[in-house]
Amino acid sequence: MNLFKIQDMWQKLIWPWRPESNREAGSGIVANFLLHWFPNRVSLRSLAFSASLYLGTITFIVFLVLTVTGVVLMFLYIPSVERAYWSIKDLDNTVSFGWLLRRLHRISAHLMVALVFLHMFRVFLTGSYKAGEIVRSARPFNWVLGVTLLVLTLLLSFTGYLLPWDQLAFWAITVGTNIAAAVPLVGEAIRQFLLGGTIIGQPTLIRFYVLHCALLPIVLFAVAAWHMWRIRKDGGLAIVEQDRKDALAREPVAPKKSKTYSVLGIASGTTVQVNDPTTLNEDNSVPSTPFLIVRILLITLLTVAVSIGLSLVVQAPLEAAANPEVTPNPAKAPWYFLGLQEMVGYSALMGGVIIPTIVILGLMLIPFLDREQKGIGFWFTDGPGRKWGIFGFLYGLVTTVGCLAIALLAPMRDIFPTIESQLFFDLVNPATFLLLLFAGMYFVVLKKTSSTRYAAIATFCAFIIAFVLLTYMGTALRGPNWDFYWPWQAWPTHPTAL
Amino acid sequence: MASTDTVDNGVQVSSDSGLDQTRRGFLGRLTAAVAAIGALVAGWPLLRSLVPNVLYEPPKRFRIGNPESFQEGVTFLEEHRIFLFRESSSFHAISGICTHLGCTVKFSPFTLPQEETVRQFSYRALGEFHCPCHGSKFRGEGTNFSGPAPRPLTCFHLELSPATGELVVDTATDVPRDFRLVV
Repeated sequence: MNLFKIQDMWQKLIWPWRPESNREAGSGIVANFLLHWFPNRVSLRSLAFSASLYLGTITFIVFLVLTVTGVVLMFLYIPSVERAYWSIKDLDNTVSFGWLLRRLHRISAHLMVALVFLHMFRVFLTGSYKAGEIVRSARPFNWVLGVTLLVLTLLLSFTGYLLPWDQLAFWAITVGTNIAAAVPLVGEAIRQFLLGGTIIGQPTLIRFYVLHCALLPIVLFAVAAWHMWRIRKDGGLAIVEQDRKDALAREPVAPKKSKTYSVLGIASGTTVQVNDPTTLNEDNSVPSTPFLIVRILLITLLTVAVSIGLSLVVQAPLEAAANPEVTPNPAKAPWYFLGLQEMVGYSALMGGVIIPTIVILGLMLIPFLDREQKGIGFWFTDGPGRKWGIFGFLYGLVTTVGCLAIALLAPMRDIFPTIESQLFFDLVNPATFLLLLFAGMYFVVLKKTSSTRYAAIATFCAFIIAFVLLTYMGTALRGPNWDFYWPWQAWPTHPTAL
Repeated sequence: MASTDTVDNGVQVSSDSGLDQTRRGFLGRLTAAVAAIGALVAGWPLLRSLVPNVLYEPPKRFRIGNPESFQEGVTFLEEHRIFLFRESSSFHAISGICTHLGCTVKFSPFTLPQEETVRQFSYRALGEFHCPCHGSKFRGEGTNFSGPAPRPLTCFHLELSPATGELVVDTATDVPRDFRLVV
């Protein structure tokens, strides 16, 4: 075998493709996914940290960390009711770095839930779900994809919660699947489908395991890819609308047509770039390589470093092995469900089914209810927007604290001791009051300002603070028997019970 | 998604302008319909196979021991999550599963038994049931009176095994709360 042949083989291994012409080289670039991950040039406005806080990027990096650690954990975990708990014990005690893998996976999962929420808050507050007047992008649809990703993230987190098969896991799943059973008519059927029987057992564990390790990650990855691809298709972050406005002022000529590529025929029609007057120039943009690439690499490094750093300090708890005979007191869901658990404490139907459904649907509908196009990409839109944001925040603070006070000081069953109808208490409880107070505020602000955006800002800020307060209440202020305790009050160590 | 993607530039894509009336269009729709039905037919076994026909779960009807072996008052049968009450020769069983979200309730005994009347039913109450998960509370005969629990605790049918004379609980059969088995 001569040297040329070896060289030829080597070249085939490292880069087999040689363009025959400039035209082929150009088509190759167009067809190549990796070179098109990022656009050629990126707007300085969207590169700025304050535009996005890079929260979506960080979320995806954390998801990659979860995937890598998750695959290794799959080799070490045994999804059987007899051995699941002990394989987690082994991770903590006998597997080299098993503790690190488990802590990193757990802390990343918590971070991902928090980041998905923060990313949603950012996108809402900067009005980045808006289509824009100049090119009418599909950002409203991308917001819907984002809410879908939020739901998928929560489902992934919930299914992962059961796998250690300890007391915490077992009772969180008991509570969670019984919330599903509160759905009218088909609730019990849904519960038994989730459990694979009438009680939590091996069929439940294997169902949650497959959902957690195979089905949900694949679906989430596909939707996340779609979500990020849409950002490219819409021409970048929403702040780019401001560049487009500038460009339109600069050259109010008819936009020039450029070539449109369909992706394997999935997307039809023209891309926004065809009507886009932007043409990022030397003044308002920089090449993606190296400016965007370096920032993304830096964010990746920081995210991974912070995750590992946190997992060195934050322990992953493991309670006693699952025991259906003893309910821990108090029995709590993971922190991001504790706001829900607090409301479920008023009524399972209202707090566990109706309100979450309204919140998810309401979130998805935001871009279709608020179609105003001003101030896209700016936090709180403008001055009055900030004012209504603060108003909504304070309003949410007062009403949520008020409703929590009602729940604690005057439970509905004490006010109406003679009523036995469950439907009455499902409809009349603090969670319903909060829902009506927020809906009422939306319409009052809408009437006062005749602006859907200001009404949406006020309601959303109220929602954020309510979510935080309810979560804090369920996490820190609820003790044994779900009784109220101030943070400085000690919980009774021996609850009076048989 | 295709429609949201389209830029309003006056160019109409042919598929957007109503139904395609040609033979090709008809065959296309026919293919789509057959594919949809095929997907449903293929999807049904996949979903149906996940609904179990045989459950390998503990029996709903089981022996718990001789009546004499239970102490006067209340006994919690941990593995079955059942409270067994004995008043000399009279027995009854109350489920320990909270009717809210399925946590195991705890029995909180009074210092002294007291005569109670709950919903026109008089009995001697030994205590109350408290749920640790969301703070539901139940009277000694099972009626919910505080917290989110939507229904009273279930009372189960009791009988004596003709073969061994042991108590048999039937958790598949609910009974009214005044049910008593006298042996």
